[in-house]
This record gives sequence, structure tokens and C-alpha cells, in this order.
Amino acid sequence: MRKQRSQVLIGIAALVLLIAALPLVGACAPKPPVEGGKLKLGLSICMTGVAAEKGSPMGHGKLDCIKYINEELGGVEGYPIEVHWYDNGYDAAKAATIVKKLMDDGCLFFTTNSSKMMASSMEIANRAGFPGMACFSSPACTHPPQHIYAQMPDYGDDWAAFAKYYMENIWDGDGKPRMALHLLNNPTGYGARDAARAGADALGIEIIITEEHAATTVSEIDSLTRIKGENPDVIFISSTPAPTAIILKNAYELGMYPGIPIGCAHASFTKALVDLAGADIAEGVYGVYPTVAWGDDVPGMAKMIEYCKAEHPDDEGNLDYMTAWAEALIDAEILRQALTNTDHEVLAKGDAAAWEATEMNGFRNVKGYDVEGLHGPVDFSNPEDHRGSKSVKVFQVKNGEIVAITDWIDAPLIKYEDFEWFGK
Amino acid sequence: MMAEFLQYVITGLAVGMVYALIALGFALIWKSSSVANLALGQLVLISSWFTYGMLVQAELPYWLGFPLTILFALFLGWIIERFALRPLIAQPILSLITVTLGIAYFIEGLVHFIWPMSVAALPRMFPKEPIHIGPAVVSQEYIWAAAISLVIFGLLSLFFKYHKMGIAMRATADDQLAVQACAIPVTRVFSISWMFACVVAAVGGVLVSLIGGITFGLVETGLKSFSVVILGGLNSFVGCMVAGPIIGLCENLGGGYLTPLIGPGIKDIIPFIIIIVVMIIKPYGLFGETRIERI
Amino acid sequence: MNLPCGTRNYDYARDMAILRTKTHWALFIGLLAVVAAAPLYWNNYWLGVANLIGITIIAVTGLNILIGYCGQLSIGHAGFMAVGAYTAAVLTNRLGFPFLAGLVCSGFSAGLVGLIFGIPSVRVKGFYLAITTIAAQFIIIWIINHWSVTGGFVGMSVPYVSIGGLEFRSETSQFYLIMGITAVCLLLAKNLVRGKVGRAFVAVRDNDLAAEVMGINLLYYKLLAFFVGCFLAGIAGCLFAHWIGFMNAENFTLADSILYIGMVIIGGLGTTIGPILGVIVIRLLQQGMMFISPILESAFPALPAGFATGLGPMVFGAVIVLFLILEPRGLAHRWMLFKAAYRLWPFSY
Repeated sequence: MRKQRSQVLIGIAALVLLIAALPLVGACAPKPPVEGGKLKLGLSICMTGVAAEKGSPMGHGKLDCIKYINEELGGVEGYPIEVHWYDNGYDAAKAATIVKKLMDDGCLFFTTNSSKMMASSMEIANRAGFPGMACFSSPACTHPPQHIYAQMPDYGDDWAAFAKYYMENIWDGDGKPRMALHLLNNPTGYGARDAARAGADALGIEIIITEEHAATTVSEIDSLTRIKGENPDVIFISSTPAPTAIILKNAYELGMYPGIPIGCAHASFTKALVDLAGADIAEGVYGVYPTVAWGDDVPGMAKMIEYCKAEHPDDEGNLDYMTAWAEALIDAEILRQALTNTDHEVLAKGDAAAWEATEMNGFRNVKGYDVEGLHGPVDFSNPEDHRGSKSVKVFQVKNGEIVAITDWIDAPLIKYEDFEWFGK
Repeated sequence: MMAEFLQYVITGLAVGMVYALIALGFALIWKSSSVANLALGQLVLISSWFTYGMLVQAELPYWLGFPLTILFALFLGWIIERFALRPLIAQPILSLITVTLGIAYFIEGLVHFIWPMSVAALPRMFPKEPIHIGPAVVSQEYIWAAAISLVIFGLLSLFFKYHKMGIAMRATADDQLAVQACAIPVTRVFSISWMFACVVAAVGGVLVSLIGGITFGLVETGLKSFSVVILGGLNSFVGCMVAGPIIGLCENLGGGYLTPLIGPGIKDIIPFIIIIVVMIIKPYGLFGETRIERI
Repeated sequence: MNLPCGTRNYDYARDMAILRTKTHWALFIGLLAVVAAAPLYWNNYWLGVANLIGITIIAVTGLNILIGYCGQLSIGHAGFMAVGAYTAAVLTNRLGFPFLAGLVCSGFSAGLVGLIFGIPSVRVKGFYLAITTIAAQFIIIWIINHWSVTGGFVGMSVPYVSIGGLEFRSETSQFYLIMGITAVCLLLAKNLVRGKVGRAFVAVRDNDLAAEVMGINLLYYKLLAFFVGCFLAGIAGCLFAHWIGFMNAENFTLADSILYIGMVIIGGLGTTIGPILGVIVIRLLQQGMMFISPILESAFPALPAGFATGLGPMVFGAVIVLFLILEPRGLAHRWMLFKAAYRLWPFSY
């Protein structure tokens, strides 16, 4: 009897101690101190995982740029940017936990580098009112527009811009040109399809056939045979470098190219495409890209190349590094606008009020910021259009090099949410 | 109409031979040790990257780079067998399959580690002009792939039928205990079969990379080769060579004619639907041996 | 070895009890108290991680019933989770079903799909079945991507969980919901394997021919295993959909299926506590990777680019291989050994 009672007492004592010790466990994740003097920025980067080849240079670009801002420019209006970044490993569940951690850390807004990561984080962020910036985005992230903003045009905008360029510069027949689409079987490809579905009539183009391919395809002869049978006037490919290279090679073998102009979306239009397809086959292929090429003569290029060579020399020439550098410049501009229009105390709290202030006073006041020339001017002031930069340049492969053949072209805004076929 | 059909048929046969080549490696391991090698795609991948490393990064000439790749594949097969599979010799099949999954993960991580780029191109070995068969075209790499896979098939069949080690492999697959009683070292049989399988995977990988570049898609092509082995029968080389073109034909013809009806993308799923159908109708494949189990 | 010295079972109820001694009860109540009190001290992030762990425990318990208890190798579990998730998404988003109806329906729909793809298990086993489930995974994801009802490639959003007008908006409320459902599912699974069905499963796993000779209907029990395993996957998928809020088929890849298998193996096949241990260990490792990368980057900026990327899968693959070679019965076995050693200390036998 005595043994039983002492056992029960020991049990209860242990339980009470355990519950009392819980705060220690909770302290493993410290609550952010409400301190002044810093601006907190949250980054969700895919530094490891299957997308690390893009995510890692992008992470380097962002971190180097923020280092540059903090050290050489003295931060934003004198306040250093405090970076909270975590690696989401291109995993949806991890991305969801990271965005919650960033909210707990009291960050003012968060950024991601991939549209898949933004898709996993955005609902949580939208529900809490936590603003976010997507470096590469897809139409689902910004339509309907809530609290997520896109740095650059998405894959649907690529199509719209190329279609516009084609109508104005290449097409010289009567009536409607016949366009064939060849899409990757993921949001990259289908962004173009949705844009075509929504905007082809307005631009005066007829989409005659849509083909799809997997990222791992080895042969697209069959789909190209079907396309060839429909006699298109132009083909648009929205994909990544490897399958696009295969399509180009197969199109060459079938005798379709050179002959029918081919345009590519920005996800595939990099040097890897020229290498994989062969410079001779890729000659004359058009493509759109939302930034300038590495080494172009724009104000922001020199400083970026300097930091790239110093900190991460392996990333030299990598357009993803440049895109991320530009994005960090935009983040700084957003924080600058937020600071000039709000009290720092409000922002330091890092809670829902701070987020709303960042969005309304920060994002919305960024108008016509030139990002030091690295890509098209950024404007978040229109609540219906959450794309920052709306313009792309059209490039062409000439002698194995990708050269720009136009200046900035605006991609018209397509309001996908007005169409009922757009999933909500 | 006829031209389209011919094009689909030719492309289907060509692509199918490529699948068959990769499937040969799988059948080889199954035939000699009854282990299902789920790491096939990754073996193809790492061999292709190694070739890239030799030819492009180290800039060795062809006559040096390719033999080095073969040596590497031999070495890789030996290591895998020695350290991951030998400890598990008598374990249930679940452990064996799962350990190959673990190896697959490990190799994929190793590839990320050593070659952080996600795509690369091998230098072009064949001229880019396609060969014209009537109104249809097929690129030269496919012709070479088909020819090499037939050659390898011939070599393997002869080896298994007439060479002492080949016969020993077939005996081991049948009854390991009896083989040990005949003083044939079973562990050496396993080693050699894995080494050969890695070499076949390497050859297949190089050929596929010449067609489409080195990407992580090689793993998916490995998965499609599973449908070839299932259709052809797991332990039959003839089955591989026959089922490969059949799957390629189904893919291209099915994709060609069903796409206008069902919508784009049906081509990707056809090999997997074939797997399910074969499982229900004739699980051991066209040429495979039916397993007769006794308690 | 399962009970401390001196504990005797005098009737069937006590023999079958999950919590047998007073210590068991005390520890269990303690665990409940700690879990219930956790939201007071944990912030959103840790509650989110706990939610993710709870959801994965449900899915992996289902997989454990399939692989560990019934011996049917299935590498397509993420696909079945996707079925459950999308059923819940379509029912709550497009058709306005209440959450509980969506939960049950997603379980049943995933179970039915699992049943259909499990039909070949009656004819084949081992590797053949594994390939069939891989094919099932790809077919399911393909259908989800190409069907307009499921939002195609764009994906679809999922509204908040709401039961009887009460919306579960905060992480804490979702925590209680998910923990509750996890406890119910674990109890379900435990009771299933303790009874006649579980014994039949184990018989099928050990030697299905002998089981059939002894009168166990193979068709019924194998299909039942698939149904139950995929039912739990469907429930996990439904909770996952509501937790993340935006469904996209890219959330359920073959790599996720292999991850779940890794969790089952590391935790211990064929035990109830195995999935729990395996899930906790792997998910916490994943979260740990999240934190390690920034530290690695700042401490060693000169690391080669692919270092951290390659390290994760390499370690995971190596751990699976090592576990299979050295400790095929997983962490659960180690836990049993620890308990036995603790009870018998200082005696070693």
C-alpha cells in the first residue's frame, strides 16, 4: 500500500516537473525580441534538393546583394537588413513549415525562388496577411491577387510578349497566324497554355494544336509529326532546356526547322539550351527573357559582378544569380518605401499590423523602380496587377550566342481569375 | 496518313530499342541473383555523368574516355555488390528491394555532390543529318543505339548459353545451395553479374545521353525500362529485345493516335498502363518463367 | 519480455491490454498532458512541425499495415495520399461538403483506389507488386494533372477546416484536430492488428501459400490490407490538404513514396510504435537540414556547390542501407531492447 502511494506521488511529481519544463522546450524556438534598429527579411531558398542547381546560385545572389546593401550602403535608410533564411529543399511540406517560422520570427515579408515553393507557402501566407515575393512565379501565385507579389513576368506573360512581338515583327500574312504550342507537363508549360487560352483571340492568333511532353522525354518525333500535319506558322515551346533541345533536334530532323519560327519561354532559354541542342541547330531560335544578359552595360552590373567574383566565383555568368541579386535590390526598395511611410516601431513588432504596413506602404509605393537596369522597371502600385516587372526582352540565338533583339516589351495583364476554367 | 504511320512505327522501334538496352541490365541481375535492381536509373545516370567527366571535364580522347567509363562501371558494380548486397544474401526479398532503393538514393546524392549541374551535353558523336526511310526520318543516334543493343544482346545470350561463368549464373539463379555444393563461388557469381549489369547500364546511359543530354530524366527512362522487363519477362533477354520495341511502338502509336482523342500527354502514361494490364493478364510476361512455389 | 517482472495476466482482457501496468497508465496520461499543454509553449513553427509529423504518422501507419504486417510492398503511397487530398479538396472547395464528410469520403476514395491497384497482389508479389504500385503512383498523378475537376496543373486551393461552423484557423486548433485524429487512427490500427485480421495479415506475410492452405482467404485479406493502408493514406492526405491550403500534384512525388518507405524501415516494420519513431526521426532530421544549410553557408562559403545538396540524399540512402544490414527490425526493436535492459538491470538476461 505504501509502495503504491509513493509510486503515485512520484508519478504526479514527475508529471508536474515535465509540464513545468515545457517552457524550456518552447524556448528552443525563441520569440523574436522586439528590438529596434533592424529590418527583418525572410527568405525561403531551395539551397538543396533537386532544384538546387537554380536555387543555390539564387540564394547566393540574394545573400550577396543584402551583404552589399548592409556593408556598403549602410542598410536601408540606416537600418541594416537582418536576414532569416532557411533551406526548403524543394519540398512542399518544408516550405509550409518555413513560412510559419518566418512569421514567428517577425519578418516583414518573405521571398521564395521557385513557383512550386510559393504555391506551397502562399495559402498560409495569404490567410495570415503575410506578404510574399515570388522570384519565379506562376499565374496561380498572383491570380486572384491577394498578398503575393511576383518579381517578374510569369510563363504566361512570356507567351503574351512573344505573341505580341511575333504579330508585330514576324508575321506578314493575312488573317490569323496558326500557332502550335508544345508544353512541359507542369505549371511552367501550362502557364503558357492558360495565357494562350485567355489571350490568343485578343491578339489575333489561332492556337491550332497543343502538345505536351515530359521533362524526361527522349523523343518528340511523334508529337512534332502531328504538329507538322497541321501546318503551323509558328511554334511556341514553354519548357526547360533539356526537352526543348530534344524538340529542336527533332524539328530539325523532320525538316520543320529552320522554316517555321520557334519561340521559347524563359525557363528554357539559357546557354544550356544552346549547348544541348548544338549551336547549329539552335541558330535563329527566338526566346524571351525578363532580364538583361550577363555583362550588358547597365548601372547595376559592375557591382554585381564584383561581388559575384569575390564571394561566389562559381556562379559567374549565371542568370539566376543576377535575377536573385535584382530581387534583393527590389526587397530593399520595398523596405525603403515602407520605412519612409511608416514608423519604425510599427515595423519592428513584426506582427500582422507590421505586415499590412509593409504591404500597403512598402509594396504599393514602389513605382517605376529601375532595379539599376538589370531588368524591366518594377511597379507594384496597381492592386490588380501583382507583377513587379511586366516587361521582357526578345532574344535570338545568333552564332551560338544569345543576343537581345528588342528593348523592353510589355506583357499585357491577363486577368485569369475572370475565366471560370482557371482553377481557384 | 501513311507517312505519319510509318514515322510513328520507325520512331517507336528506335526508342524501344533504347529501352530494351537499359532493360538488359536489369534482366541480367535478375537472371543471376533474383534481385530486383530498383537503382537501375541511377546507375545509368552516374555512368553518364562519369563519361561526361571524362570526355568534357578531363578532356580525354574517345579511345581513352570510354574504356575508363567501362572500368568505372565495373568498379561500381563490384562495390555495390560487395558492400550492400553481400551482407543481405539470405534475407527476404523485401530487404533486397529496399536496399536497392537506398542505393538509388545514395547514388543520386553522389551525383549531386560531384556534378552539381543538372544538365550537361556530351560532345556530338554522330552527324546531325537524320536518315530517311521513305517519308520518315530517324536520327543516327537511334540507329547506333539499336545496333549496339542487338550486339550486346547477342553477346549476353551467347555468354549465358555457352560460357562457363554464364552457365554458373543461370545455375545460381535456380538453386544457390546446389551451386555451392558444386564448388562454384556464389559470391563471385553475384559480383560478376552486378559488374556486367553496370557496364550494360553505362553503355545504355551513354547512348541515351547522346540523344537527349544528361539530365535526371535518365532515371525516368530507367523506370520506363521496368515496363519493358515486366512485359518481356524478368529473366529473359529475348523478352527484353522483343518487349522493348513493343513498348516503344505502343507509346508512339498510342500517343500518336490517342492524343487527338484524349488530349496531350497520354504518351507518358502508356508504359505504366501496360504494366498494370500485363500484371492482371499475364504477370510473368511474354517470355518469363512462371514461378512455381512450393511450401 | 514485454512486461515487467512479476506482472501476471489472469484473464483475457488483461492479456490483450495495451496499457497493462500502472506505470504504463501514468506515462500515458503524462504524455497526453504534455501534448495537450504543448500549444501554450510552442510557437506556430513547432506546432506546424508537430502537425506535419501527425499527418505523416497516419500515412506511415497505413503503409506499415501494408508492408510490415501483410508483406505487400507498395512504393506508391504518395499517390494514394494524393487521391485522398484531392478528394477532400474537390469536395470542400467545389461542392461545399463539410469537413467531416470530406474526411471520410477521402479515406474511402483512397481506399477504393488502393483496392483497385491492389488487385494484382493476388496474382503477384514481391518485385512485381512493387512495380505495379510505382505504375499506380504515376497513373494517379497523371490523372490528377490532366483532369479539369482537380484543377489540372494549376492546382486548387482548399478552404479551412470547419466543423459545425467552428473554423480551425489557427495552428493551435489544427494541432488539436490533427493530434486527435492521429490518436484515433493509431488506436484503429492497433486494434486491427491485435485481432483476427492482424493475425491473418501476419500469416499472409510469412507464407501466403501456407496461410491459404490453412483457410485464410488470400483475396479478401490482401485486398483488405490495401484498403486499410490506403484508407489511412487518404485521411492523411485530407488533413495535409487542409493544412497546406493549396493543392498541387507536385506535392506527391515518387521521392515522397520512397521517403515513407524509409520511415517505415527505420522505425521498424510490423510494430505499432515503429512508424511513430521512424516519422519523428526523419521529419526532425529534415527540419534540422533546414537549419544546417545557413550555418554551413556562413561557416564554409567555399564549399563546392553540390555539397549540401548531395549530402542529404547520400546520408538518407546510406542510413537505409545500414539499417537494413545491421538492424533490419528498426528503431522499434532497439526500443524494445532498451526497455528489456532497463527492466532487467543489473541482470543481463
